[in-house]
Amino acid sequence: MLRFRHRMRPRKIPTTIHAGQEGRLKRMRQIVTGLIRYERVEPTFAQADEARQYAERLLYLAIKNGDKHKETMDMADFWLLEKDLIHKLFKVLVPRYQNHTSCFTDLHKLAVEYPGSGFPRAVLELRGNPWPPVVPKQRDTRYLLSNILLAGARKDYHNSKQKAREQQLLQQKPQQQQKQALSSGSESVKSSRPHQSFSASSSSVDSGIPEIEEDDRSENGTLVDGTSFSRGSNSTLHNNSER
Amino acid sequence: MATAIPKVKWLLRSSMTCRLQKFFKRAYSSQKLTNAEVRQKRVELFNAEKERQMGLLTRVEKIEVRHKGVPEECTLIMNKDLSTPFNCAMHIHELLMTRSALALVNGEPWDMHRPMERDCELQFLHFQDEDSRILNNAFWRTCSFILGHVLETAFKDEYYVELCSFPPPNVSSGSFVYDAALNLGDWKLSQTELNCLSRIGYRLSFADLRLQRLQVPVSVANEMFADNRFKAEQISAIAAKSKSGSEVTVYRAGDHIDLSSGPLIGSTSQIGRYSVCAVHDVESPTFGKLQRVQGLALPTQLTMHSWTYDSILRPRAAKLNTGPIPVLRNLQAQGDLPAH
Repeated sequence: MLRFRHRMRPRKIPTTIHAGQEGRLKRMRQIVTGLIRYERVEPTFAQADEARQYAERLLYLAIKNGDKHKETMDMADFWLLEKDLIHKLFKVLVPRYQNHTSCFTDLHKLAVEYPGSGFPRAVLELRGNPWPPVVPKQRDTRYLLSNILLAGARKDYHNSKQKAREQQLLQQKPQQQQKQALSSGSESVKSSRPHQSFSASSSSVDSGIPEIEEDDRSENGTLVDGTSFSRGSNSTLHNNSER
Repeated sequence: MATAIPKVKWLLRSSMTCRLQKFFKRAYSSQKLTNAEVRQKRVELFNAEKERQMGLLTRVEKIEVRHKGVPEECTLIMNKDLSTPFNCAMHIHELLMTRSALALVNGEPWDMHRPMERDCELQFLHFQDEDSRILNNAFWRTCSFILGHVLETAFKDEYYVELCSFPPPNVSSGSFVYDAALNLGDWKLSQTELNCLSRIGYRLSFADLRLQRLQVPVSVANEMFADNRFKAEQISAIAAKSKSGSEVTVYRAGDHIDLSSGPLIGSTSQIGRYSVCAVHDVESPTFGKLQRVQGLALPTQLTMHSWTYDSILRPRAAKLNTGPIPVLRNLQAQGDLPAH
């Protein structure tokens, strides 16, 4: 089970000329072995990306089954060309990643050198290695005085927008209620019932709410998306169950 | 007649001795108070009090100051009650002298020019630290303090400006505040006149004035602020809140002296941009009608594009700040004053 996103398509990796599948596998084993030994290797990007999944798989099996499992031991024997690394795998790396919830390796793209081989290069490393970090720590600039001032201004702007929107809604509401009252009033005049005023008021309240909701949908992007999406997904679910 | 007038002038000049000049000055000032005279008096009192306190130090004792942070962690042997964090910075690196605006002494915010009292651990703060909130508040407080200086020096002698107080610093509100009675009558300050006020504050950054802190007994403070009815009323309440119960903290920058609990930043050269943005009328239940003067400032260390500053932050700073209106609390209640 891989714990990172990976393209599940085979790719051609040029290793040595006319080496074929065997040469590719040999190169993969070399990289996995190097990764376990040095904890940070620098092959081309395609090779690093390809070798990463084998290293992850090996570590996953080692953690899952332990060193008493024959098949796992065979896998370790196959992937690690230098046999002293089998001890490192079970004695050092398994305890390190015992309670890891994410993947065990990191892959960083490097800049393309010019003039150079032309292949994009990458850094493949085990997490928790003793080397200095590849990506420097970013400074937190939230509490700079200028940024606090700008954050305050941003908050003010959004609050004023929200207020304007609410006011617009409030202005629209009475207009619609008036329209409803007028139309229902004319109906009641036709029917000429004794409790016409009561019926008119109730009808205006009942029909007034959905209309305002429709207006909401047309104006507020968030509301529209939420409601329409949920409705669409519900209908597809029903369709599936029917099938 | 033509010869008589210069004669009279000469006579006056020769006969008017120094004492007589002082008499006339005093007689004039009793008729009408001016800010310049009041400030001069405060400075004299401040100097006298500082000299008295320095006289109490008869023996120089040594303390051990452990510095933490860049460029190196080191231990300095300094003088007790004499050496300040600024003196320590002078021993370590010039960068620390210029950019440090505040120090942490045993984790407590400490002014750059306040003498250290015991063996301690020292850290320097600047405006580009990861978490500079303590310093931001000190900066905002300093800007209010400087706004007091601007208001007292900007107007001609015929306008006697009485400063009241400023609310606790709140950077995210977008503006710093000083509540004062400007006594300008019907005069509404135009944008050009506000810009003139801004320029007075801005020029202080070139003057590089150090902000000095002094704890003075209530009697001295009362004498200092006798000419300001708002401050005179507040002093007893502020003193009751202090540790010893009979002392208040005053700060001085150049010839401006004001009450503030501090801490403030080290020097006015650390104030980069400074603008006075608006004057609003406010009503205080105890102090009567006041003007709320609002401004905006940025440290020298932080840069900002003029578009952002002029079109986003300055219009926002001109809106009425909703900070607490100054109210004089009873001595019995001893609630925290909104002032300082």
